[in-house]
Order: sequence, then structure tokens, then C-alpha cells
Amino acid sequence: MSKSPPSPAWAIELSNPPPYKAKQNSFPDPPGFPTSQTSSKKKDSKASQLAQRTPPTQEEMDTLKLKKAWEVALAPIKSLPMTGLMMYMSGNSLQIFSIMMVFMAFKNPIMGILATNQAFEKFESDTNKGKVLQVKVIYVIMQLVALALGVWKVNGMGLLPTTRSDWLAWEAQREAVEHAVVGL
Amino acid sequence: MRRATTLLAGLLAILPAAAVYQDEVGHIDYHYTLLGVPQRETTFFHRPRRDDRASLLYTLSDEGVLGAVNPGTGAVVWRQQLSRSKNTPNEQEEEEKGQQGFARAGEGENWVVTGYGDTVSAWDAVGGRNKFWTRYAGKIKDLEVMELTEVEGRKDVLVLSEEDSGATVLRRLNGANGKVVWEFRDSGKDVPLQVSTDVAKVFVVSLRGSRGAYNLKVSSLDTLNGKRLDEWIIGTKADVHGKEDVQLVGANSAAPIVAWTDDAHKVLRVNVLGLQTRQEFPLPEGTVGVEVHAPHLVQSQPHFLVHSKTATGHRGEVYHVDLKNGQISKAYDLPLLPGPGAFSTSSNGANVYFTRITQDEAILVSSQSHGVLGRWPLKNEDTKAAAVHAVAEVIKKSGSTDNFAIRAAVVTDADEWTLVQNGNVAWTRPEGLSGGVAAAFAEISESEELARTLEQEAHANPLAAYIHRVQRHIHDLQYLPAYLSAIPARVISSLTGADVVPTAGGKLQRDSFGFHKLIILATKRGMVYGLDSGNFGTAVWNQRAFKIPRGSKWDVKGIHVQEATGETTIVGANNDFVTLKTDTGEIIDAKAPSGEATTQSAALVNTASGQRLLRIDHVGSIGNLPVDQAPKQTVVTQVSDEDLKGVIFVADGDTSYETTAWTFSLPKGQKIANIATRPPHDAVASIGRVLGDRTVKYKYLNPNAIVVAAANAGARTLTVYLLDGVSGQILHSAKYNGVDASKSIECAMAENWFVCTFFGQYSLRENAAQSLRGYQIVVSDLYESDEPNNRGPLGDSANFSSLAPIDNPDGVALPSVVSQSFVLGAPISALEVSQTRQGITSRQVLAYLPDSHGIAGIPRIILEPRRPVGRDPTPGELEEGLVKYFPAVEIDPKSIITHERDVLGIKKIVTAPAVVESTSLVFAYGVDIFGTRVTPSYLFDILGKGFNKASLVGTVLACLVGVLMLAPMVRRKQINLRWSAPM
Repeated sequence: MSKSPPSPAWAIELSNPPPYKAKQNSFPDPPGFPTSQTSSKKKDSKASQLAQRTPPTQEEMDTLKLKKAWEVALAPIKSLPMTGLMMYMSGNSLQIFSIMMVFMAFKNPIMGILATNQAFEKFESDTNKGKVLQVKVIYVIMQLVALALGVWKVNGMGLLPTTRSDWLAWEAQREAVEHAVVGL
Repeated sequence: MRRATTLLAGLLAILPAAAVYQDEVGHIDYHYTLLGVPQRETTFFHRPRRDDRASLLYTLSDEGVLGAVNPGTGAVVWRQQLSRSKNTPNEQEEEEKGQQGFARAGEGENWVVTGYGDTVSAWDAVGGRNKFWTRYAGKIKDLEVMELTEVEGRKDVLVLSEEDSGATVLRRLNGANGKVVWEFRDSGKDVPLQVSTDVAKVFVVSLRGSRGAYNLKVSSLDTLNGKRLDEWIIGTKADVHGKEDVQLVGANSAAPIVAWTDDAHKVLRVNVLGLQTRQEFPLPEGTVGVEVHAPHLVQSQPHFLVHSKTATGHRGEVYHVDLKNGQISKAYDLPLLPGPGAFSTSSNGANVYFTRITQDEAILVSSQSHGVLGRWPLKNEDTKAAAVHAVAEVIKKSGSTDNFAIRAAVVTDADEWTLVQNGNVAWTRPEGLSGGVAAAFAEISESEELARTLEQEAHANPLAAYIHRVQRHIHDLQYLPAYLSAIPARVISSLTGADVVPTAGGKLQRDSFGFHKLIILATKRGMVYGLDSGNFGTAVWNQRAFKIPRGSKWDVKGIHVQEATGETTIVGANNDFVTLKTDTGEIIDAKAPSGEATTQSAALVNTASGQRLLRIDHVGSIGNLPVDQAPKQTVVTQVSDEDLKGVIFVADGDTSYETTAWTFSLPKGQKIANIATRPPHDAVASIGRVLGDRTVKYKYLNPNAIVVAAANAGARTLTVYLLDGVSGQILHSAKYNGVDASKSIECAMAENWFVCTFFGQYSLRENAAQSLRGYQIVVSDLYESDEPNNRGPLGDSANFSSLAPIDNPDGVALPSVVSQSFVLGAPISALEVSQTRQGITSRQVLAYLPDSHGIAGIPRIILEPRRPVGRDPTPGELEEGLVKYFPAVEIDPKSIITHERDVLGIKKIVTAPAVVESTSLVFAYGVDIFGTRVTPSYLFDILGKGFNKASLVGTVLACLVGVLMLAPMVRRKQINLRWSAPM
């Protein structure tokens, strides 16, 4: 067996890429540039800061979580005025913009309702279950309100089959029992 | 969807309806410019300019159309319709029956004079403009040009007419301006026949005596003042049977003659006008008809030819008249040749030539001797049509003595007009297509074999059927190469926009859009034609159903195409019928017309043994029928001008007895002017109309509704009744004042609405000083109730019966009617409503414009009774497509579907749905033939001709080339990005 020839330079570089070399110029990096300071130092300081805080009690955590949960529950209604305004502005004609808005107006509440448990999972604990359930109910109601806005919009666009004309295609023509032919 | 249609409707109302795009002309429409079949006496070559040798071919046809045809190309130079379409159909028919037209041209004059009905007109020979016209009381019986007058260079016109009192009047009209030069009046009760003239005198020939035994009476008049010089009766025996037997020829020639035969065609009697004696010549054995041909010029030699026809052949005998003593002597015989033939006379100075056209050659002889001057074999192998009559023009070529050229315009027994030039067929005009009396659309039948095998498969057990089917498909593989080889042609033709005519082995096939349909057209001369609507109306076949004698017409009462059996039945008035194969025209069964008209109309009824056409006699009765032939429906028939009745059949044993179910009698003074019903195929897409506020007005859709327009000529009123055909109940009636009953009153009905058009003149109710006059169209919509969202007293019931009224104090459920009338810019006739497959497309009212020779398609959106009056439409109404009411409906030139074509004398329009929903096929007949496709809601389901497929394909190909070129470049760049070392 002959000795294998030494690997070419590019192959060595491919397996062991050379360290990033700073450009030849001797300018210092700007302050805050990642290379200028060691990240380990900062992480250490943050960790030390967190470590210094005293952990909150269980009640405090529950209150906090409930507060957060209320925020989540009321979030759908907060965006309603804006959505309503945009729906009003977009008009009742069938355009790509209003169609997308209507689609979102239906998709968001329904997805929200379906994902109720996931939304409140992190706020839920063994102790505040009852209270979070109330919040969940409120959350569902709020989503329904948002959904109602979508229905209102769809109605405004004339897409709800509420009038007689919408069912006209299913009404049958009245058939004559007797027939006549004309020989004139 | 609904919203989209209302939006579309709104759009249509705002946009002007463009009927025909320029690139569709000649692509979707076709038009035969016809004259009618030329008549023997009224067809001639004539030089319209004295110093120009070019001549035109003039004819006054049996349709009453005067036309000039370029003999070189066969194109119509100009034409004028003398038989003005009269107002009511009955009047028109009556007039056509006794109508005889006369056309003459003075030698070297630039005008042609015609007499038709009671009108004499002179027309510019080059352009067809009217020079003068005058009307006289009575009917014109003959017309002749006086070649020699006392004024140099002027030729006058002699008009013989018979007044209603029986008096004979002869007028000499100034050929320059139509003023009467003198008038000769004979109040005797003789039947005026003809007028003739020689150099010195004018002769009036009339019949004296009683029907069947007439004598010829000749009066000679002074040419200068019209005073009677002499009068005598030829012969003593009453030997003239009728006026048809008498022929007078050679007017203006040196020796005009009058000739007549006895009843048995054994002897020909000839009298040289001016002499009191007659000479008799025996006719060949077996002669069935005689024609006499003589020149019309003074300078021509007084020779004439007797053309005698036998059942199997024809022959000619040439006679010479001795000018000194009036003796007639036979010069020579032209031999008997088998088959029918035609003779014609041409004169060139003193020389007289006779042209004989037989089935296979044209022979030219001089009147002097029987030596044949020219003989040209006819080179039309494809048609074996026989010549009925001909006119010929003979030109003696300069230089040589016996070198002649002829051209002869021949009318064949297939009703075609052919120009034969030295034996070659120069052109052929399908004049037989004129004079249509009935037409119907027929589906092109699927191949019979396929239908049979499909039927076979349906009856076999499933496994056998499956095996049979697989075998059939394997068998069908033999057509695959042909199919594949046809693909390039199809692709190319679809790119260039040309239509592919689907044919398989020379047979017509349906196309996927349904534009190819057969039109079965029956003409008054007894011919039936099959035209391909998708291929510019070319005649696929023609077939003579009956030989109709000249002067009478085939009175067709009903035409019915049976798609299932592929047969077409045509029922005529004289107890005749013919059944043909729809795709080939082959006659399956026929019964020739009898002498008297027994049938008033025909109705297509459903019986236990299938659909059939039922004859209805003149008093509206049908007679008892076998049970399996008795109609299941009520048949509405017309008893008289004032009465309708409904007939039902009650079965008793094997016979069904006719029973009158109801009668409808008009009030005194009213007469039925027109009746309209819904067409047999009347698809209704939606049973209601959606209003702007999304409520629904339900349409009153009664398949038995009949619109009866009754005019009272005395009171000048028109009453339009809406009847129920089952019960005879009047559903609605409306009265219009100031209606002229003598003008055309027509109605049309479709879906839940009907239109009627008439001429009216009345004062406005609000302001009596203001009066309204003009052609009007009234449109009425029928709804189930006045209020929206209400289906009327019947509520939600799934069916209704006209005979069993619901439990309601009002009795029968009457429609709620909304009407509106409009004033039209022009009179219209031949109303018809466009039809589409499913009725989604909006409708058009198609109507012929008799004054401007076009067909207009008036959109239904304009004829909308719910248009708001006196105010602007609300947004809701705008959404429905309702625009503000404006009383006048102008016939928009863009809505004229015939665009620039001059379509003459249309009597009826028929429509049929195509397979594509947007399109309705239209076919109009009368004098001309016109067919097109209309798209009232635009062509929304197929690509029009304007769609540039070439640029589409070109764009796709360009994109492909771009991608193919860019792909390696992009790939190289991406590899370089990955691989190149950072520098």
C-alpha cells in the first residue's frame, strides 16, 4: 500500500474551516459589536440578577396568572372597535380585501374558541381552576362577540340567506294538471 | 349568482347592445339575396345604356321582385319588391293569388317598366331608381312598350287594366314621365286579355262569351288618339276554353300574332293581328303543352316558333308570316328530342335566332333555315335538372360568318336559375329558396347504427351488453388514426378562427356547441330543402315534394320534425301531406294535394300512439278519431273570425268522440287579428323575479295561456285577451283605442310575458289636445300576485288546474298584469322571441323591419313594463336593471342583427336554442333567406372570434423559451454563489 497523498488544501479547509479572521485593517470594532465583548460575561450578570430576586409566593403567582388570564380573555374584544371600523370602511361589495377581512373575522374567533384550553394552559394551576374557568367562559363569550361582528358584516354583504329570493331556486314551478294545444 | 345576473342586467341596460361585431359578419350569419323564380314572359336581357354593349339580365319573379342580375357573375345589381308586404296576412294572400306581374323594357331605353297589381312603375335600368309610378283602379292585365311613337326618341307604355266593374281600360302612358297620353274605355263585360301593337295600330285582345266557350275579340285602335278604328271577332265557333290557352306574341313586331289551342292540344290556331281570318295547324300527337316564341322588334323578320311538349320529349316548328297577305307557312321542323327542353328567341337586327336547350346540349338555329349554327354540349354532369324556360343572348362574333357565342339564363325544374355560356355553367342562383312557407329546425340525427347498437345494448343482459360494448370500442379503434390525423387540422383551424365542419363520411354530424342544425324549409312551389345552419345555410339536400301548378301555391299548415324517428312531416291545406327523412330528404310517404282546401290548420298533439299532427277543418272541428290517435290535451281551434273553441275527446269503446269543451265568442264587431302562444320549447330558468330589496315577484307561468288580439275596425279599437286554453276563461283583457285594424297587428308570447304591436292614434287622457300616433308595442308581464313574496291564492300547491278552481271567492287564480306601451320608430312584423336552452339568457324580441329591410333584436330589458315612469329609478331598481321609462323606443342600428345586409320580404322568423346557453339560432325566410346566431346577454360561455388564440399560444411559447434559456443561467449563478471562494 502506498502512502495516500496529503489532502489538498481546500479539502482540509472544508473539514476544518479557518477561524473568522478579522479584516487586515486595525480599526477597533464599534462598541457593542459582538466581537468586542464577551457574551459570557453578560449572561453571567443577568443570571446573577435573577438569582438575587426572591421567588413570589403561590398566592401572588395565582393572582398574577389570573390577571394575565383576564388580559387574554378580554383581548378579542379590545381589537373589535378597530376591526369594526375597518369592516365599515371596506364596504359591502365583494372585493379581495373585504373577503379576506370576513375570512379573518370568522377564522380568528373559531380558532380561538377551539384553542381555549391551550390559551389558558399556562395560567392554570391546581389552586385557581375555578377562577380560570370563569375567565374561560368570558373568553368564549368575547370570541362569540367577535364572531357576531363577522356575521353582521356578512349580512351587510348580503351573503346570509335571509330573504325569499335566496330560496327561490329551491321553489318548484307550479305544474299544470291539464294541457291545451293550439291549432290555429 | 343572482346578484351577478342582476348586475349583468344592469350593465346591459347601460351599455348599448351591440348585436354583431365586424369580424362575425359572414362568420355567424348567412344571407341568400334572392329574387324568386323568374317568369318566362318577364325575363329578358336588356342593354341599360344605349351606347354600351353590356347588357343586364332583368326579371320580375313569381315573388313580385323586380331585379337586375349581372350576367357575368350572377350577382344582383339591384332589386325592388313590387309586392309590398301588405298589412294583414289574409289580405296579402288574397292579393298574391290573382297577382300577375308584367315587365318590359324598350329597346335602347334606359328604363324598365313594370305592372303589378294596380301599379305601373318605371325604373332606372342601371341603378334601379324609380322613374315614375302611378296607380289605377282595377287590376293590370297586360303591359307593353310602344316602340314607335310620333315623338322621335320617345317610347310609350300601353297599360291594359280591368276595373272592378268589368270595364276594360287601355291607357297610353308617356314613357318619359308616366302621364296619360290617351285613354280608351270599353265598358263591355269582355275579359281583357292582352294588348299588342304593330307599326300602325294598337290591338286589344279580349275574350267574349261565357266560361268554357269564349271567342276572341280584337279591337284595333289609333295609336295617336286611342280612338277605336275597328272591332271584330275571330272565328264563329266558341273555341277558346280559357284565358290560359291564349298566347299573344310578337308585340311590336311587323306581324304580331295571337295563338290558341283547343282543349285536347290537337290543333293550334293562329291569327295574324289585323286580319280577321285564322289558320289552323295540327299539333304532334301526344302534345300536352304549347308555347309560342317570336321576336319583339319591328325590324326582325316575322318568324315564330311553336314549342310543343309531349310527355316524353319536346319539338319545335318554325313558321314564317308573309307580310303582304298575312299567310303563315311552315318553314321547317326541329326534331323531337327526348326529355324536357326550352326555346328562346333572340333577334339581332333582321336576323332571328332560336336557341334550344335540352338536357345535354344547347343548339342555335336561325329562323331562316334548319341548319345548326352552333352546338354546345352542356357540362353540368352533377345536376340533371331539366330546363323549364330560358332567355338567351346571341352574339355573332365579328370576322367569321358562322361563329356565334350564346349565353342563356335557364330556369330549371329544381327552381334554380342557371346561366349557360357556350355550354359552360357560369353561375347558378338558388332562387327556389325564396317563397318559403314553413320552416323548422331539426337536430342532426346521430348515426343510425350507433342508435341501434345502443338500443341493443340496453335490452341485452348486463354482461352481454358489456362484452358487446368492449367489442364495439375495439372496433372503433380503427377510426383512431383518422381522428389523430385530423387533430393538426383542428388545432390550426381553431387558431385561425375558422369553423370546422364535422363530417364523417360525407354525413353531417352535430358539433359540441349545437350550431349545426338542419333547417327544413318548404317553399310555395312544392320544394323542400334541408339547410345546414352551421355551414352558412348550404343546402344539404333538396327534394320536390309536389309539382305545384304555376299560379297556385303549396299551402303548408304544419311542419313537425320527429327527432326520435328522424322523420319530418309536412301537412298542407289541401288534404295533402309528405313525410321525409330529415337527414337526406328522401320521401317516405306522400299524398298529393287535392283540389279543394279542407284544412284550416294543424295541431301537434300527444296521443296514446305518440305525437302527431292533427288536421283541423275550416269550422274548427276535427272529427271522431280512434282511441289511440285521439289527443290527450284540449285542442284550441278557430271556428270563424270571431269564435274560438276548445275541443276534447271522450273515449267510448274504440272511438273517441269530439266534444266541445268551451267556446269563446268575441263581442260584435271584433275580429281575431292575431293569436300568440308560448313556444313549445320555452325554458324558464327562475320562477320569480328578484326585486332590488331581495323580495320575489312570482311569475305567472301558465303553459296553456293564449293571447288573442281582436280588432274592431269600425270602432278602431284593439282588445287583447289572455285566455286559458283548457277552460276558455278570460284571464286578462286590455283595450287600446285608435287602432288601425287594416295595418299589421301581431303578438308574441314567451315565459310570463307577451308583446303586441299595432298602429295606433289617440288623444292622451291627461291632455286631449295632445295626440299620439305611431307604431306601438305593448308589453305585459304576468305575475302570480300584486305583492312580492306572495304566490297568490294557490299558495304553495305544487300544481294547478284550470278546471277545478280553488276554494276562493274570486274563483280562478287570475294573474296580476303589469303593462307598458312604447312608441316604435318603425313598423315591425314577424315577431319572434329568442330561445335559449335553459332560459337563463335574457330575451330579445326579433322583428322584421319591412321598411328598412332588416331584422331588429329589441332587448327585453328595454321592453320592460316595470320601468319607473316620471322619476329616476331608485338604487334598488337600478340594481334590477330598470331604467327610467321613455315612451319612444328607437330601433338602434346596433340592434339590427342583419346589419348592412338588405334582407327582403321576410315573412316569418324561427328560433331554436343551441347547446351553449348564450346563443339562440335564428332563421328568417320569405323572399330572402337569412340566418344568424344571436346572443342577447353576450357570448359568455364560449370564446368569440375576437379572442386571439394565436397570441395566447405565442405568449405561452415565449414564456417557455424564456424559461428554457434562463434556467441554465440561473443554475450557473446559484452554483457559483455556493462554490466561489470569498474574495
